[in-house]
Amino acid sequence: MNTKPNPCLNLKTPPEVELIYLDNAATSYPKPPDVYESMDLVYRTAGVNPGRSGFDLCRVAGNVIDETRELLTTLFGGTDPDRLVFSHNATDALNLALFGLIGRGDHVVTTQLEHNSVIRPLWTLQEDEGVDVDWIPFGKGGSVDPEAIIERLRSETKAVVMNHASNVLGTVQDVGAVGKVCRERGIHLVVDVSQTAGKIPVRMDDLGADVVCFTGHKSLMGPMGTGGMYVRDGVEIGKTRAGGTGVRSAERRHLDEYPYRLEFGTHNLVGIAGLSAGVQWVNRIGAEAIHAHEMALWQELRDGLDTIDGVTVYGHGSGSEDRIAVLSFNVVGFEAADVGTMLDVDSGIACRTGLHCAPLVHEALGTDKLHGSVRLSLGPYNTPEQIEQTIEAVREIAELGASRGASRSS
Amino acid sequence: MSSVLDVDGRKLKLNDEGYLVKPKRWSEDVARELARTAEGLAELTAEHWAVIHFIREHFVAHKRAPLIRALCDETQLSLKRIYQLFPSGPAKGACKIAGLPRPDGCV
Repeated sequence: MNTKPNPCLNLKTPPEVELIYLDNAATSYPKPPDVYESMDLVYRTAGVNPGRSGFDLCRVAGNVIDETRELLTTLFGGTDPDRLVFSHNATDALNLALFGLIGRGDHVVTTQLEHNSVIRPLWTLQEDEGVDVDWIPFGKGGSVDPEAIIERLRSETKAVVMNHASNVLGTVQDVGAVGKVCRERGIHLVVDVSQTAGKIPVRMDDLGADVVCFTGHKSLMGPMGTGGMYVRDGVEIGKTRAGGTGVRSAERRHLDEYPYRLEFGTHNLVGIAGLSAGVQWVNRIGAEAIHAHEMALWQELRDGLDTIDGVTVYGHGSGSEDRIAVLSFNVVGFEAADVGTMLDVDSGIACRTGLHCAPLVHEALGTDKLHGSVRLSLGPYNTPEQIEQTIEAVREIAELGASRGASRSS
Repeated sequence: MSSVLDVDGRKLKLNDEGYLVKPKRWSEDVARELARTAEGLAELTAEHWAVIHFIREHFVAHKRAPLIRALCDETQLSLKRIYQLFPSGPAKGACKIAGLPRPDGCV
């Protein structure tokens, strides 16, 4: 008999959420009630263009934006809320950062653990601008050796770009070791913290980062359409867009000062209001407590899947200190998409199958030939009972896969 | 690599994953030939046709594949049974035989 993990948060899932949702690395769901309520309240009572006009209510809306900047600046260990820039999502922020920092003749080091939000901008720079990009492989445990990155740094290296945790394997990278050297050598370190912000500490100076790019709709518990970046003081990202800022409208050129430098057009007020509520909820529960809850369930899940014949778990770590609660696997006899369909239709379990927008990870694992893997990613609302049901559902699928294999070979 | 399906002298182009390039050219004869060549099904039973026709009719009406739950409900077949009928599953097996284009996904 399984023992319930001690750190379980015991959050109440709203009755309208009927499925077992294990796709939190794609987006967290459900959100805390405060998020929905805040979005509704702010849009109904202050749904005006924030900060653009002179009336009081527009300043109230502007305050929602400013206060959320302050909240996130504190979260990331920043010093100046004006350097907290909002964007549509993490991909958008990464595009602004990478195309604004890197250009012709530059050298960049990145890893094979990256999401397409990093791969595709860097690939574009490599193909179109002749940027020299080193793509560092990861080891069997799913982590990149920091020394392997540091060894590739050169005098013309402009930036290191890496994620804080893999969205496929869940392994947390030793960014701080890379960042320390980058700071010593004056190399920009751009970190994609999409999978970690809200789970484990993301502090600019601890990471040695010049830029951290975040999404609002994952572990920060905000809505989709929110994200941004924090840019360290002294780092100037070139402007690749221009437009309205709501201030100094007579200027023909887009403004240089932050946050206007990297913000264009009307903010997503309702989204940022939800993000603010999400971050406050995370702060109230405690990111450490949320992470401990998720990792206790992850351990239970991994241990359970390990007992099933025909199941291969990838990036199989041994402890909880170096990972987030993401687990990828395959079942003999089925493609990943088939397993996902069966989990959904037969057991009401939602997961993500395929390449997870991280093709280099799957090419390195060899799972690209299997059309990817099944990814289960846990969130604060998951329970030990759901994990037990998931293990049993995978066991049934594995038994079916084994019987198909037997009938095909007989 | 793309290929050509020969159905009673009609040449139908298939994409590199064996899906019809022009779904409008589908017919029951095309389904039988796709079933034979893509899924190794020598014969299509009434259960096969129930699945194929529901998928096809939904596609013609809505320009997309049906939800798998709807397929199971409508045909009164369990998902496990559908996997027995179509070894590649509802999306890559049944939808292909029903002449639908390749489904989008994260692969």
